[in-house]
Amino acid sequence: MLGYIGRRVLATIPVMAVVGLFVFSLLYLSPGDPAAIIAGDQATPEDIERIRASLGLDRPFLVRFGEWAWRILHGDLGISIFTNLPVSTLIGQRVEPTVSLMLVTLVFAIVVAVPLGVLAAWKAGSLIDRLVMGLAVTGFSVPVFVVGYILAYVFALQLGWLPVQGYTPIAQGLWPWLANLILPSVTLGLVYIALIARVTRATMLDVLNQDYVRTARAKGLAQRHVLFVHALKNAAVPIVTVIGIGIALLIGGAVVTETVFAIPGLGRLTVDAILRRDYPVIQGVVLLFSFTYVAVNLAIDLLYTVLDPRIRY
Amino acid sequence: MSATVVPQLDAAPSVAAPLPDVIPPRKARGPVWRFVRRYPTVVAGVIILTVIFLAALLAPSLWTVDPTALAPAKRTRVPSAQFWFGTDMLGRDIYSRVIYGARVSLLVGFAVAILASIGGLAIGLVSGMVRWLDGIVMRVVDGMMSIPPILLAIALMALTRGSVQNVIVAITIAEIPRVARLVRGVVLSLREQPYVEAAVTTGTRMPAIIWRHILPNTMAPMTVQATYICASAMITEAILSFIGAGVPPSVPSWGNIMAEGRALWQVKFFIILFPAIALSLTVLAVNLVGDGLRDALDPRMAKDI
Amino acid sequence: MDRRTFLKTTAALGAAGVASPRLAAPALAQGAKVLRFVPQANLANFDPIWGTQYVVRNAGALVWDMLYGVDSTLTPQRQMVESEEVTDNGLTWTFRLRDGLRFHDGEPVRAADVVPSLTRWMARDPIGGMIKAIQDELTAVDDRTFRWRLKKPFPKLLYALGKTNAPVAFIMPERIAKTDPFTQISEYVGSGPMRFRRDEWVPGARAAFETFKDYKPREEPSSWLAGGKRMLVDRVEWVIMPDTATASAALQNGEVDWWENPIADLVPLLRKNPNVVVDIADPLGNIGSFRMNHLYPPFDNPKIRQAVLVGMNQEDYMRALVGDDDSLWKPLPGFFTPGTALYSEAGGAMIGKGDIKTAQRLLKEAGYKGEKVVCIVAQDQPITKAEGDITADLLKQIGFEVDFVATDWGTTGTRRASKAPPSQGGWNMFHTWHTGADCINPAGYPAVRANGDKAWFGWPNLPAVEAGIAEWFDAADPAAEKAAIDKTNAAACEGAVYAPTGFFLGYQAWRKNVKGIVKGPLNFTWGVSKA
Repeated sequence: MLGYIGRRVLATIPVMAVVGLFVFSLLYLSPGDPAAIIAGDQATPEDIERIRASLGLDRPFLVRFGEWAWRILHGDLGISIFTNLPVSTLIGQRVEPTVSLMLVTLVFAIVVAVPLGVLAAWKAGSLIDRLVMGLAVTGFSVPVFVVGYILAYVFALQLGWLPVQGYTPIAQGLWPWLANLILPSVTLGLVYIALIARVTRATMLDVLNQDYVRTARAKGLAQRHVLFVHALKNAAVPIVTVIGIGIALLIGGAVVTETVFAIPGLGRLTVDAILRRDYPVIQGVVLLFSFTYVAVNLAIDLLYTVLDPRIRY
Repeated sequence: MSATVVPQLDAAPSVAAPLPDVIPPRKARGPVWRFVRRYPTVVAGVIILTVIFLAALLAPSLWTVDPTALAPAKRTRVPSAQFWFGTDMLGRDIYSRVIYGARVSLLVGFAVAILASIGGLAIGLVSGMVRWLDGIVMRVVDGMMSIPPILLAIALMALTRGSVQNVIVAITIAEIPRVARLVRGVVLSLREQPYVEAAVTTGTRMPAIIWRHILPNTMAPMTVQATYICASAMITEAILSFIGAGVPPSVPSWGNIMAEGRALWQVKFFIILFPAIALSLTVLAVNLVGDGLRDALDPRMAKDI
Repeated sequence: MDRRTFLKTTAALGAAGVASPRLAAPALAQGAKVLRFVPQANLANFDPIWGTQYVVRNAGALVWDMLYGVDSTLTPQRQMVESEEVTDNGLTWTFRLRDGLRFHDGEPVRAADVVPSLTRWMARDPIGGMIKAIQDELTAVDDRTFRWRLKKPFPKLLYALGKTNAPVAFIMPERIAKTDPFTQISEYVGSGPMRFRRDEWVPGARAAFETFKDYKPREEPSSWLAGGKRMLVDRVEWVIMPDTATASAALQNGEVDWWENPIADLVPLLRKNPNVVVDIADPLGNIGSFRMNHLYPPFDNPKIRQAVLVGMNQEDYMRALVGDDDSLWKPLPGFFTPGTALYSEAGGAMIGKGDIKTAQRLLKEAGYKGEKVVCIVAQDQPITKAEGDITADLLKQIGFEVDFVATDWGTTGTRRASKAPPSQGGWNMFHTWHTGADCINPAGYPAVRANGDKAWFGWPNLPAVEAGIAEWFDAADPAAEKAAIDKTNAAACEGAVYAPTGFFLGYQAWRKNVKGIVKGPLNFTWGVSKA
């Protein structure tokens, strides 16, 4: 098993190298660079050139890439061009909000979607099934920011139950932290619910037709017991898979949610950096994302061994 | 004492008179009706899509005006007899923009679905069939997949100027890895099948193997995947417009109508409302069709997507 | 990469996350007054000389002090300076600093700090550059005195030191001021009434400032950058809101106290809220503009440029920018800020009225051959986006062939600097705007200059404009100044230095329990209290 983990970790290196090269090339090719923005409105072309030179942006591609790769290998993510702060600091500031948002969204989505999927599978083919699936798909179809605005309007402005925006660190109390996260998580979670519910339903359907389920029912076990103890456990593998895939998709919706609810997260950091051409930040964050993706997939693969003893590495 | 009836053994059995019609017999319905009863959601999806398609196609004849005609003196008017959906911040008629916007959104959705499918198919086939390329190609694909698609699309849009083609290309590039993975998976599992091995041993050339054996088996999952890509592409276009990296304002799309009106949604919510409904309905319809296709083709696929 | 480095990186990231108390709130004293402010843009960096964005200047004004500061009449008043003396027919200025001025690290402010601060500022500021060109020497005589010797008199020296336009002449400690003007500073020790809490700064999300107890405000009442900068709150928190609708909701909900620039369409909603007050933000307003490239066809032809100026309808542009509220905009038949001494309408009767017929005629007479107009429009700036939409329509109506390039502000910044032909990475037209404070007079107003290669992007070459400006610099009295500006304005209108799309104002909004907010070119936070 340890060998498997080791092999998987090693396999991440070429992946991240590809990502690093790709992102670096992308930025190198893009027109507009931070020098012009930094120089400001009063700048002359000479000023812009001077700033560009001081940032080292006028050197050839391979030199810049080599230097960056060398620094990354030593754990140095570089300094942000615009803020003059280390990229790792910028990322570190925003990890907690993003992780919190993802976590609460995940919990919300799973808690809602799995029972929905089970229900739909149990009553497969009936009106309830169609209704549940229909509602789930609708959640997936409405643009995220529209949902966010509506929820903010109803629950924050009109009813005053929750704050409109912002993020409170968990260190300042559990309820304040949660209060700021409820609306964004529901907004983001609606997208996820459809995905999870659909997969749950399909897997459960498959499982429910298996012999051992029929045996369990024949033994006289309660339906609930059958559903949750026997069927769901076996359905767990694909469900966990889809959760893993969904995390990458979630980040897209998270960008919008972070904007609407003014959460200082990684999504917003990246978009701002892209639009401003803050290269070190973009490169650092993308590397982090790819690392996370790989790590999450590894964790999920390991989780399989727990969920399904037949899977061994 | 009741008399038991002893059947007369030598009596010829008589044909019972037909029972009166207490329950009228079911009329035999046509195959269309049966299809609708079995897959009502798919039918709903197809109907919605057809309506939207027609609206996009017949846009000039649907009582629309030029969607780019500015009239700043008449900005942000509420829906009225003259402006069915109201006007936006520059005085453009929202109804016309929504109808013409259908063109862009449908174009983006379907173009991305088709292009990403073709691209992913090519890569997946190559990767699955040519063993020594598999490792490299999959590393690259994995790398691309680990970058969140929205951020990739935004970064690609930052490389160039806003236009419908660029948006299509950017979203396509972000979606290809998933299709490639899917196709590769199918190819790998098929490669080991006995009939494929048999075909190889009898000397069938590679293109023929692909055409006759591999491709047909990829069609089903790819088609289903394509519908989801279509839906996802439409939403991605809206998000790109939200960020400001989408289609230029001279080309109305549901995404950029919403993006422009979002600051005013508390006071003039109709600007966002109509394109939001249009987008939601379309994406919903595509999803329903996709779900139906999947259920029809292979319900077990649901676990993999 | 070996495992150790891999793990090191991970650990570094993890430690960065754990050890960053960025999001931890400070231990607030009971009853501490916190003012929460929504700025116009993200505070992405904090060097007001290196980065000339307005939001950086606004933050800088809290943290650093200046030698002089203009009041609401734009007259420079003493701030850190106790007295000044002009000798040698205006060639020598001797300044004496006030007693007891301190930096945030407790060190006293000395003339040895002033000299490098001014030197660094002069390297980036247009007026400062002019002073530097005629500077003989700038030295610290003793701890509280410094002397400036010039080769020519420069009557506007005090104005240059006290002006609000970026970059502002902030005074920093010597070691920080010695940083190269094209490199960011990394320490933020200030001389002003508030201390910047660098450990709480999350660029893009929030910034915090804490009142500096040892700041010695002047005795006079405050007026813009002049007078005593008394802080009546303990902390100021800047909350950056990327979404306008969210900022509006937050203000209504009481989650923030003061919003720098609500959009005009939301103002009626805010006014309806009994807890919110709305008023004009800056009486000096803004001037919208688009610039044409004088180097290449079709805009190298003055008649074609005239056609555009005649055909454009300033009302359309202004409505697109500020909506239906007529009190928020004025037509601008010129290039100088309405409501100031030098405002002029000379020569501007024809421009901005939307006379499409005349524009079409002028275009034909000029012999327009159908050259494509490469029009750059930044989509992520609301002002340029709105202007761009109107321009596209305008050009089509007049009869131009348009190539509408929708891009972002960063790309615009790079592309506009290019003198290449439009089809090879250059441009014919781009959109921007200027604050009114920057357009009061030709000093510090590069956009109105027409000295060819040295001019601002577009490189207009109009000797008549330059002659008028030279006259203004040499003008002896206000009447002569006005006459010079009238000449400049007329020449600029005729030669189309750029196309002014109109003059517009913006609003600011705050909660009822906040008092002391004034109108001005930046958010003056001194004198603002919260009940």
